[in-house]
Amino acid sequence: MAERNSVAAAEATASPEVPPARPWANVNPDLLPGLIVLVCAVLLMFATKALSPGSDLGQQLSAILVSSIFLVVASFGQGLAILLGGIDLSIGVVIGLGAMMISVLTNGSNQALPWAVSATLLSCTVIGLINGIGIAFGNVPPFIMTLASGITFFGVGLGFTSGMAQAPVAPMLQALMSSQWLGIPIPIYLIFAFLVLASLFQNGTVEGRKLYAIASSPGAARVLGLPIAGLTIAAYGISALCAGIAGLLLAGYSSAATLDMGNPLLLPTIAAVVIGGTRVTGGRGLYLGTFAGALFLSALETIITVLSLSQGLRDIIEGAIIVIALLLQRERRAAFRH
Amino acid sequence: MSVPAPDRFRQLILPSGAAIALLLYLAMYGIYASRTPSAFSLFGITNLLDNTVVLAIAAAGLTLVILTGELDLSGIGVISIANVVVATTSNGLGWFGALAVVLAIGLAIGLLNGWLVAVLGLQSLAATIGTMFACEGVALLILSAPGGEVADAIANGLTGDFAGVFPVAGVIIAGLFGVWALLARTRIGIAMYAVGADEHAARLSGLNVRRTKLIAFAFAGLAYAFAGYMLSAETGTGDPRGSDAFLLFMYASIAIGGTSLMGGRGGVFGSVVGAGILTVMQKMLFALGVAEFYTNIFNGIIMLVAIFIGNLAAIMARTGSAGTHSRLAKQQQDAI
Repeated sequence: MAERNSVAAAEATASPEVPPARPWANVNPDLLPGLIVLVCAVLLMFATKALSPGSDLGQQLSAILVSSIFLVVASFGQGLAILLGGIDLSIGVVIGLGAMMISVLTNGSNQALPWAVSATLLSCTVIGLINGIGIAFGNVPPFIMTLASGITFFGVGLGFTSGMAQAPVAPMLQALMSSQWLGIPIPIYLIFAFLVLASLFQNGTVEGRKLYAIASSPGAARVLGLPIAGLTIAAYGISALCAGIAGLLLAGYSSAATLDMGNPLLLPTIAAVVIGGTRVTGGRGLYLGTFAGALFLSALETIITVLSLSQGLRDIIEGAIIVIALLLQRERRAAFRH
Repeated sequence: MSVPAPDRFRQLILPSGAAIALLLYLAMYGIYASRTPSAFSLFGITNLLDNTVVLAIAAAGLTLVILTGELDLSGIGVISIANVVVATTSNGLGWFGALAVVLAIGLAIGLLNGWLVAVLGLQSLAATIGTMFACEGVALLILSAPGGEVADAIANGLTGDFAGVFPVAGVIIAGLFGVWALLARTRIGIAMYAVGADEHAARLSGLNVRRTKLIAFAFAGLAYAFAGYMLSAETGTGDPRGSDAFLLFMYASIAIGGTSLMGGRGGVFGSVVGAGILTVMQKMLFALGVAEFYTNIFNGIIMLVAIFIGNLAAIMARTGSAGTHSRLAKQQQDAI
């Protein structure tokens, strides 16, 4: 493995700073950890089958994938914030707010769904824009800004709703999460569409590349005249938008909403990003890695349920895997440096 | 980014952010007391300090790590373990035995964090999320559901007062200030500021960066464990998930107390006052009859206000802009 690493590293050092004509030359070194995690996630999924021979493999795979969609979507936003060297600690609250808003606004009817979805996603995005403005113009550290806005908007949500939605979520949204097309659950199509779109945005668009540039060298980005403030605000806006989408899906999945239902997802979003090989100091990382990390965590959750291990062991294993993933990355970076 | 000597001296005594926080605390306490006659009674003061002390100890420990420029999310995990250990063993081990066991666990986890971050060079935010998950898991293995019983010696002894004169929690907080006042004057305390302000410069001037960070994490682990011990005394029972809410408020206390999350600026005094503000604010809002959800909104806004004041103070203290971007640049240099 060390040899493969050094080959990848050699390619990376050989590639010039400016994005070359072949984008893959720049992408290779970061693709490796993502692929490794993806392979591990797939192995883990098949392991669940081996552990419970009576179960139907297809059904088990689709159950894992469907339950991973919230983490898959929300951790894209976390990945963007971390790519910029920041962090978004408001994600859990925004997921809860999104879920609450959609169930309160639709009140169990499909007619209200179009405007309710837009209003929910717009409100969530505004929270992210506020985060971004505070970070970009107020010079507030991202950690504090997103923590403070999370606490604040949790309070706002509590003021409006007393913490629990009385109304059920619109049936159409519930149907979206539970129905199938061609024998495959619809959320699985959504997951792969999201993977393609998110990867295209992060690595295929000029805006996405600029995010890497800003994080890699803020000084150089400023000299080049990149719109640092605008892109920072946009990144946090997208992060909150993704959290809002995750909230909608979560409300549809569990058919009832509570304000704190997103909180258990906050730290796993960070874990997914880290396991996927994104550097927490920013500037490096691919969405594919984060995606793989999210799948891995979901598969792990399922396998531990299948083995009927206790929640405590699950947490210990999850914690150990985060540290191991970090240690493996450290090896890789050490190879990269030489 | 070296800090001029007089400034550093002032930081050690009373950081400007902490001074503002102290004024804020007194103002809130005044409003609270004007509505609640019992606020000045021994009972009222004991009650307020009992509510403050757990957060204050945990935030104090975290402050040391943050001063060195690292983050630590493992605190709630250590508090959970300490809480369930006290709830399951204190009747057998007695108050001192339980305290010793808990502190040993905290020290071990602190050293583990320090080893991962300072020696192996892992990113502290991510590594301590890992140890936090693992610690919460261990707490759940020890006690899978809320329960257990805390020995009376702990539950009654630490929440009352000494002979009707002085609240025990007040003595503990005073002790915290005392330890900090000593630590801040030692070589290791000063090294924490230096490492946090500019790790590169600190290394070049011969400071042992690894050892400084390792010690900061170790102290933090001890503090979390002690906070968990005090939490057990307050609640009288064990709850493996009882500490989750503390994480955000530990960071909120530190931000309000004027400690920079970038490291190198602030101190334990401010964080303890910050913890006090978060506690007395709840009492004040309750006394004013404000609905509970406003407390959250006030918590968030007060953090941001504290940061703005801190930023202003930092700009006045050292001319030139040193914000997120220069920190990134610094990290980038370190990484290469």
